[in-house]
Amino acid sequence: MTAIALAAAVGALFALGTFLLLQRDLIRVVWGLAIISQAANVYLLAMGGIAPAVAESVPILAGHGEGAPQTADPVVQALVLTAIVIGFGMTAFALVLSYRVYEEHGTLDVTKLGDRK
Amino acid sequence: MTALTATPVGTESPLVIAPMLIVLAAAAGTLLLGRYPRARAAVSLASGIAYATVVAAIDWYIVLAPDAPGIATYQVGGWPAPFGITLVADGLSAFMLTMVAILGVASLVFSTRHLPGGEGRSYYFPLFHFLALGVTGAFLTGDLFNLFVWFEVMLMASYVFVAYSGGPQHTRAAFWYVTLNLVGSAVFLLGVGGIYATTGTLNMADLARRLAEPAAYGLEPAPVVGLFGLLLSVFALKAGLVPFQFWIPTAYRAAPPQVTALLAGATKKVGIYAIIRLSFTVFAGAEVGVELALPGVTIAGDSPLPFVGAALFVMATASILVGGIGAIGRDSLEGVFAYSSIGQVGFIAMPVAIATTVTAPGLRKLAIVAALVYALNHTLAKGLLFLSVGTVRAATGTSQFADLGGLAKRSPPLAIAVFVASLALVGIPPLSGFFGKFLVFDAAARARAGPVLVVLLVGSLLTIAYTTRAWNRSFWGAQTDAVEAATVDSVQVAVLAVLAVTIVAVGVGFEPVYEFAELAADAAIDTDSYVDAVAPQDASDLIDSSANGGGH
Repeated sequence: MTAIALAAAVGALFALGTFLLLQRDLIRVVWGLAIISQAANVYLLAMGGIAPAVAESVPILAGHGEGAPQTADPVVQALVLTAIVIGFGMTAFALVLSYRVYEEHGTLDVTKLGDRK
Repeated sequence: MTALTATPVGTESPLVIAPMLIVLAAAAGTLLLGRYPRARAAVSLASGIAYATVVAAIDWYIVLAPDAPGIATYQVGGWPAPFGITLVADGLSAFMLTMVAILGVASLVFSTRHLPGGEGRSYYFPLFHFLALGVTGAFLTGDLFNLFVWFEVMLMASYVFVAYSGGPQHTRAAFWYVTLNLVGSAVFLLGVGGIYATTGTLNMADLARRLAEPAAYGLEPAPVVGLFGLLLSVFALKAGLVPFQFWIPTAYRAAPPQVTALLAGATKKVGIYAIIRLSFTVFAGAEVGVELALPGVTIAGDSPLPFVGAALFVMATASILVGGIGAIGRDSLEGVFAYSSIGQVGFIAMPVAIATTVTAPGLRKLAIVAALVYALNHTLAKGLLFLSVGTVRAATGTSQFADLGGLAKRSPPLAIAVFVASLALVGIPPLSGFFGKFLVFDAAARARAGPVLVVLLVGSLLTIAYTTRAWNRSFWGAQTDAVEAATVDSVQVAVLAVLAVTIVAVGVGFEPVYEFAELAADAAIDTDSYVDAVAPQDASDLIDSSANGGGH
């Protein structure tokens, strides 16, 4: 059940992110980027497998007693943590850049940013 | 797999991590010295030389020396593979690092003379070192997610460089560059996550071992083909292969020329390196057993390589044609060289594609050697050409053909250096480019790939056309006002001259270079020694040892 919910969430996030990426407004493009990177994070988290953690699947839990929750694979959690930090920094940078674009071009409309030279 | 615990741990060497520490220290040091331009440049240069020295030491002690082990590892934090992060230096990594070291030092010396204008001069050197750190990390890491992290380190520095000059068109170029690469990063994560879910590991050696015996590890490896396809598209984006080439012309025009030299010469090679490393070291032995039936062709096999090969053939062919044709019509030096860069990467990807489709080990090795030698030639020649754009811009303030002309009379050494690099791109003996081209044609001919030969021939003719045109428009003819008023910096020209001499030297003394490339190709193909050197443990072993009260 959790798996289906997560799959639906990832799919919806990717669809929304792609839709926003294709907009003419640069801020929406940045939103699209942020949402797509979050979708990738949720996907990554789900890739640890959604099942009661046992020593075979999560070796680091061996010798740490019972009572491990579902989706307890520490590897994907470490990966997602790294990916979140990178995604956060890049979203901030993209926002700064879009502000700079607004300053220099006076518009955030992609089609009005001038010729392609 | 009980024998694995008895396998001797591969040669451990702190030398493997040394180049990364040097550039990291250099980045931090230059950041602290932001107020002292001279000290900053001196520290940069010193660390560049230290980097080159350490890379030379890796080349000699790990790869080239008679008693060299051929491969060395460094387990970060002492955690054994596959639980910790493994750094691996073998022939292939060493070959790539050598290219970065040569170009990096040249670009640094060049930069000490003339920093591109803009508000952020004091951040130039730290960014430069962070870029080098990302590239070095990507070449040395033995872990798929860590590869992603180093890609991001490299990209972050390059984002800032594309926006560096601060004009409206630079900002716009940077915005699209960032957007594109962020989407690429998300796709990279999808591939990495999928591979982790399918195989249960991210360590490349462990991955290769498990994929070769899927039954023993209870894997269902068929999805790996598709996930590898996702990764391939990301690497092709970094390498700038068609259809992922469209960001290159604007980004290369926007970045400072001495950085563009590094972008074309080094970061592009990270994409190529990742394709070679993952295709041949990691996925070559995978037993996937899937079949893809397209109208007219059926691609099937136990290994994912035929699928990769089919995609690479299309991308390489399109790159050679799009880059070559695009370069002919440009109106500025860096425009021509940026499009030429797309075409030349096609020449590197083509032998890789050949190597993926042939099964004879000798021919596969020859094709990889061809790709590596051509990559070296591309690094030297394209690095020189982009640096020369920097010299021309610093001297005349422009690089548009309309404002240039007669540069050859103004500065003959500059003209000769650019001429040598252009000839190397075309592939005239005895320059490095001749052997690059020759090996690529040789590999294609031996693989009996007729259409590929035609594409390569057309690409070479296009190269002759655009290099001749760029040369004639900027160096020949009457001197324009801008050229007459120009003062060419002698140190910058000296750097170009040294690179030109290197191009000639690699061509004349080709034997050792070929041997090095052969060792690198061997390292790329030899999955078994890679796995042995990294020596990934089994999870069950760790569980046993911790159950016995062992562990760390």
